Amino acid sequence: MLEKLEKIREAGLAKIAEAADLNALEAVRKDLTGKKSELQEVLKSLGTIEPEQRKTVGQMANVIKNLFAEKIEEREGQLVASTSAVEGEIDLTLPGITVPGGALHPITQMCYDLNDAFRSLGFEIYSEDDISSEKYAFDNLNFPADHPARQSMDTYWIDGTEDKEGCDRLCLRPHLTGGSVRHLLEVGAPARFVYPGRVYRNETTDARHERAFFQYEALIVDKDISFSSGRVMIETILEKVFGRKVNVRMREGFFPFTEPGYEIDMECLLCGGKGCRACNQAGWIEVMPGGVIHPNVLRSAGLDPDVWTGFYTNIGLDRLVMMRYGVDDVRYFHSADLRFLEQFK
Amino acid sequence: MNISLNFVKRFVDLPADLAPAQIAYDLTMRTVEVEEVTSTADKFHDIVVGEIKEVKAHPNADALRICMVDCGVGELKQIVCGGSNLTVGHKVCVSKPGAVVYWHGEGEPVVIKESKLRGEASYGMICGATEVFLADVYPPKDEHEIVDFTELGVDCQVGQCVAEVAGLDDIILEVDNKSLTNRPDLWGHYGVARELAAIYKLPLKPLASAIPTGLPEYSVEIKAEAQCPRYTGTLIENVSVKESPMWMKTLITNGGMRPINALVDITNFVMMAVGQPMHAFDSTHVEGSRIIVRSAAAGEKLMLLDEQYLDLAEGDLVICDAEKPMGLAGIKGGKNDSILDDTTSVLLEVATFTAPGIRKTSRRFAEKTDASMRYEKGLDTQRVDQGLAMALELFKEIYPECRITAFKDVNPMKTERAKIDVTQEFLNIRLGKVLTQEHIEDTLRRLGFDTEFDGTTYHCIAPTWRSTGDISMKDDVLGDLARLIGYEYFEAKPLPVSFEHSVKQPAQEMARALREYLAFRCGFYEIFTYPWIDEKFIKAARFSTEDCVKLATPPAPELSCLRTSLIPGMLEAIDKNVHNYAEFNLFEAAQVFQKGEYHPSSEDETLPVHKNMLTGVRVGSDAKKLFFEVKGVIENMPSYCHFEALSFKQVEKPCWADEKVWLNVMSGKQVIGAIGLISFAALTDAGIKRTQAAAFEIDTKMLKAFPSRTNEFKHLPQFPLVEKDLSMLVNESVTWSQISEAIKFMVKELKFVEEYHGEQVPAGKKSIMLSVKIGNDNATMTSKEIDKKMAAIIKNLQNKCGAELRE
Repeated sequence: MLEKLEKIREAGLAKIAEAADLNALEAVRKDLTGKKSELQEVLKSLGTIEPEQRKTVGQMANVIKNLFAEKIEEREGQLVASTSAVEGEIDLTLPGITVPGGALHPITQMCYDLNDAFRSLGFEIYSEDDISSEKYAFDNLNFPADHPARQSMDTYWIDGTEDKEGCDRLCLRPHLTGGSVRHLLEVGAPARFVYPGRVYRNETTDARHERAFFQYEALIVDKDISFSSGRVMIETILEKVFGRKVNVRMREGFFPFTEPGYEIDMECLLCGGKGCRACNQAGWIEVMPGGVIHPNVLRSAGLDPDVWTGFYTNIGLDRLVMMRYGVDDVRYFHSADLRFLEQFK
Repeated sequence: MNISLNFVKRFVDLPADLAPAQIAYDLTMRTVEVEEVTSTADKFHDIVVGEIKEVKAHPNADALRICMVDCGVGELKQIVCGGSNLTVGHKVCVSKPGAVVYWHGEGEPVVIKESKLRGEASYGMICGATEVFLADVYPPKDEHEIVDFTELGVDCQVGQCVAEVAGLDDIILEVDNKSLTNRPDLWGHYGVARELAAIYKLPLKPLASAIPTGLPEYSVEIKAEAQCPRYTGTLIENVSVKESPMWMKTLITNGGMRPINALVDITNFVMMAVGQPMHAFDSTHVEGSRIIVRSAAAGEKLMLLDEQYLDLAEGDLVICDAEKPMGLAGIKGGKNDSILDDTTSVLLEVATFTAPGIRKTSRRFAEKTDASMRYEKGLDTQRVDQGLAMALELFKEIYPECRITAFKDVNPMKTERAKIDVTQEFLNIRLGKVLTQEHIEDTLRRLGFDTEFDGTTYHCIAPTWRSTGDISMKDDVLGDLARLIGYEYFEAKPLPVSFEHSVKQPAQEMARALREYLAFRCGFYEIFTYPWIDEKFIKAARFSTEDCVKLATPPAPELSCLRTSLIPGMLEAIDKNVHNYAEFNLFEAAQVFQKGEYHPSSEDETLPVHKNMLTGVRVGSDAKKLFFEVKGVIENMPSYCHFEALSFKQVEKPCWADEKVWLNVMSGKQVIGAIGLISFAALTDAGIKRTQAAAFEIDTKMLKAFPSRTNEFKHLPQFPLVEKDLSMLVNESVTWSQISEAIKFMVKELKFVEEYHGEQVPAGKKSIMLSVKIGNDNATMTSKEIDKKMAAIIKNLQNKCGAELRE
């Protein structure tokens, strides 16, 4: 009898160890400890055993029963720990399932980056309409009456108005600056605002020239401020765009709507200012014009130039985005080509 | 414009150790951007003076000679040459190996190498003037003539670089003409010299300005004083047409013009020096020895050099003799005012013509000349004195035998010097720095200003050459001071801060939220298209081109219409992408234009009506699915982008939409846009095949942005809700909104699951599966209560929608 128990123990422990998953282990549990198990049979037959052996056999059968319970629990723990949700082989190098695509245009992204920076400095955002008039696009901005930009070679005039003048001569706005007077007429001074947007010029297009392109202009009007404060706007723009301080230099420049005016160059990021093809060996890239608002422009906006002053900074968004990503053809921006746009998620 | 540093050095002594790059940098920072610095000597590398020691025949070629030449390289070199004027003992121009020349002055540049010519070794090349950039300085008489320095009487040494011999060792600073538009004084080398003298604090050499006196009067009459405030005529006799001296030809060449003959060269040289254009007439052509400056009469003609006639218009200023117009004032001459080979006396015109007339006439004839470009900028009348004085000095130098026999100066108007008062306080505040009186006065004096300081204010009198528009107010004086300090020396000063109010612009924020919602949540790509639209796509989308605002000079004839909707542009964008992608979503936020009246800023300005449109398309193959996906995008938009809710209703079918599948988007009772499938006809006409697209368009100015968040928190259910699915059979005509109306008040939540038509359901019926959540706010529902509620729901569906429960 003891020999038989020994066999049951051996076979039982082997089965427990062999159980490959939780279902198999459950079957083994029934097999070893269930009502019809061999061990149970032995316990049921104790009455037929000689009394002197009965106690020993009984004790041993219970030891085995407990051992089985203990080992099954132990095996169960092992199996739970090693169970995978996925059966069989899995190729973990397969690509992940893509999230649905979608993106803002890289120009919009740049514009919003700049908006965030300027709003943190208390600037408002203003949007002018696309069509303007000669009065707002040129007259108010101190452009001389025979300035070449007023010609149809430069500006897109609206059919039927091209031979008129002032308020009656309409155009797709050739620059954003006209919007400055519109907004100043609404809000008065002091004021600080940015007015991003698209402008239009009658040009021959190539990799560097477009007929429709984006600008970002910032304006501040206040009392008794020095034009060196204007430089803060410039540094804000570049630091935001490139994520670090970029060396800039201001030099003499001339625009009808500023006095004095300046050109702002930034150090060429490709060569670090040493001179390369991108910067025409200069080490500097002309990025934005700016200047102190011309008194005549302030007068157009109904402000007294003896009281108020301020600065413009205008930046070509296309050029900036091109530098940010290394885009080499400005015409991609209006291409609506998803192969291009997908790259700016 | 080209600025020759050698030319500039005639007027200011620049330190020998001042590098050209530094000059270019300082001019760029202080005055005007120098785009390029070139050395005229660069291209003459390895081109030197050689002396011919021996000339012999070439055994294999009659046209060639073999020369032994001393090129200053230690030994005589053999050079094969076809020159017609090879003379032993003469100094000539030799290109050594490595030099770059042009064969016969034409074609691509060639690098000289040691080689053999018809079997004879040749070290380099004995060159003609056209082959080594010397044609302007040493014009060749015939094609085979080589440059013979000995014959030309040029002093030079064997081995000396030819650039140095010819005076072509100059530095040229190139400046974009456009950046000089506001500075007429910089259109001559003297003006640039004045800037450099101010920048480096060097003395500027004065210009002579004495004009003839005590001479018989030449007859000059100005009939258009507003256009011609000054005219001087000087009769100079006993001159001839000959070449100018070398130094003058070289400077004219370096300054970017071509030497012609001494009479013409003098006028060009003076213009390049002081910026004052002038003109020399052959005085025998001046009928009646009389000059009249007047406005042309309508129908009058001017005969040009090529005997063509120019039709003049009233207002064109012309220079006439007693009979006829001879030239277009300040722009170009006619046939009768030219210097000819036999000219022996000239009438020298040095005059001031005002800018607007010159600009108008030069534009009408599309004629931009060196003179007109300068007059266009506005010249002062006093500059005539300097121009005339310098010209007469040159005449005396080049034609010592010449006689000045008559003169007249008519000067009805003088350029007034601009008077500007600037306070020290204004300068301090605006510059953000305090400048000393000495600094201010010294800087302004160097630029030609006279100043007087009374303790608070500088009374500045601008020089005449800056008083034709450039300098007119105190900001201009400030600008001059600032640029001469150098903008790079102004530190960035923080902006003054005020905390009056925060930036709050709900409409701007909503505009951004809309774009971000579409891009980041809905998987749309933002595109930009041009506002001018190809008529093909306008017509495809069934819009009329009649209603469009049009461009007067469009980029192309088919692009004259400005968009009234973004849909045509979307069609074009779909067409572009459909070859690369089977499914995609695009959107654009931009303005569209309609004829109408709109006054954004003032009543006197009337613009076409502008709408801010937001338009998107979802492109794929399953039309119905695309439509409902787009509908979902719009349904969710208000809550994600924080504006007042939208609804849908068929009011007016958009022209681009499918016959059946479209809805207007409503804000309250107002139609503010539409969604729909793009019609088969529109897609077909746009050239888009085997593709479906659903579109939306919304006028975003009509959306009412919430000033802040408006939704309120709802308590979570305290007792569990029960979710039940129902599958119903209804007539095809029953709509979801009817079903929803019938039971939505009975449930906590109602969801559409799916709709099915087909074999499993009887004809004329459809199967609708929906899911409801029901619950009790006060207790957990018992199964009895659940059954009772469900039965009531089903009964309502039966009564109101004729629905029957599917098993």
